[in-house]
This record gives sequence, structure tokens and C-alpha cells, in this order.
Amino acid sequence: MRFMILVKADKNSEAGVLPDEKLLTDMGKYNEELVKAGVLLAAEGLQASSKGARVKFSGNKRTVVDGPFAETKELIAGFWLIQVKSKEEAIEWVKRVPFSGDTEAVIEIRQVFEAEDFGDALSPELKEQENRLRAQATAQRK
Amino acid sequence: MRFMMLMIPKGYETAAPGTVPDAKAVEAMMKYNQALQQAGVLIALDGLHPPSMGARVSFEGGKPKVTDGPFTEAKEVLGGYWMIDVKSKQEAIEWASRCPGSPNEVIEIRQVQELSDFPEDVQKAASGFQEMQAQAGQRAK
Repeated sequence: MRFMILVKADKNSEAGVLPDEKLLTDMGKYNEELVKAGVLLAAEGLQASSKGARVKFSGNKRTVVDGPFAETKELIAGFWLIQVKSKEEAIEWVKRVPFSGDTEAVIEIRQVFEAEDFGDALSPELKEQENRLRAQATAQRK
Repeated sequence: MRFMMLMIPKGYETAAPGTVPDAKAVEAMMKYNQALQQAGVLIALDGLHPPSMGARVSFEGGKPKVTDGPFTEAKEVLGGYWMIDVKSKQEAIEWASRCPGSPNEVIEIRQVQELSDFPEDVQKAASGFQEMQAQAGQRAK
């Protein structure tokens, strides 16, 4: 099962404050453990929402709003994508994230859809298309 | 430049466990995904099960505390994402605008941090991160 581990943004990440050396070192060790255990698929940090944008949909109309998105409490600062055997295992990994006590850090754990989760909604043709698309996207990165 | 397009579907915060999009929505989205792929900009994409099947971990006082989903206080949640590699934020916005989105959906565009965005001392402390990503197998070249 794949899980997306979403790190919520806080005042510092939104202000563009970079992590200090201690956090980077601790996080480096943690990431290394994820790699050694063979569970890490991807990990990225995102620039502050002030550098981003939002697109809203209404029929054929598109509205673009520039960041920051101060009104939302649900902004994301980064993520890990991991492959584990259960939600419990995902939770165990997240508990080990080296966040010190003074942070208001919150991490959200969400299971990723696999093709078989869609049942009949994903026809054999669509499923094949999906597989092809993923294989090509992977090949392009190499 | 790598950008994440974060799909935020209003109402998904209260979706029941096991909720999946219908065939028509999946078909429309697959056409869009294919356009991204054919343009050579698609790096990765995934959909996420509803938050009612997830959990949150907070770290107040340095002690992890687990709360099972759904997260009643959340007014918006992530439904899925695309990771794309394009030349500018404008190009990312143009791609997001082509998505067959519904009125309840918003796509948030966020630039991904590259190591070169960090000052030298931070880059040093984070040394090995790119190798780690390469080993994990999902990093774009």
C-alpha cells in the first residue's frame, strides 16, 4: 500500500524560513532510514504559497488567484510518498519524524489510490492507458 | 522547474471511506493526464483516498499524538496531485487551467524546492538528499 505523508505548512514555512542545520541533519538521518527500510518512493519540499497560485473552475471559465493563501489552514509544506504493508506501519513511521516539541507540526497520512481501487469505473481500456502513462512518465524521468 | 498541482475537491473532507470518482470523471481526467504525458511534462500523479480513511499525527510537546480521520476541523483537503516539469509558473497555470475541473474543485500550484534554492551551508547539511531521491526512484532528472 502506498501512503502520502503530508507535512502541514506553518508560519515559518510560509514565511520562507529555511530549516536549520540540526533539523536538516535529523531529517537526513530519518530519510536515510526510510531508504534503508526500502519504503521511500519520493520526498519533496514545496516553496511557500506566496510563490504559488490557485485555479478555480466554473464551467469553461477559469479564475487564477495568486498566493499566498492565508485564509486556509490546510496548506502543505512538503510530503513523503512511502510504500508499506498497512496504515499502522505508515503511522509508526510518521511518529518517528524528528520534529522537536516546540513545533506546531501536524502530519497527515493518506492512502494513495491504486488502479484496483476503482473497480468497474476503470474499464480495462482505461486501466491499460493508465499503466502505459505511468510507465512512460517513469521512463521520461530516467 | 518542477511544480506540484494539488487538487482540492470541496466536499471531499467529509467523503465516506471507500468513496471513488465515477467512470465519467475518471475518463475525462485520463484524457487530460494523457495530454500532460504526451507533452512530456508529467513526472508523477496520484489520487488519495478520502481523509476518513487516513490519520493525522501532531507533535505537541515532542510526543506524537495520533488522530484518526475524518478531520472535522479541516475545511479543505487534498484529493490528489500531479507533479510536472515545466519552464515557468505561467506554464504550470496554463496546464492547471486545461484540467477538466468541476466548480467544487480548486487546483493549487506550488513550486517544488530544488537543492539549488538553498544557501550553501544548508545545501551542505542536506548533502546526500539527491542521491536518496535517486535511490527512491521517483526523482526527475
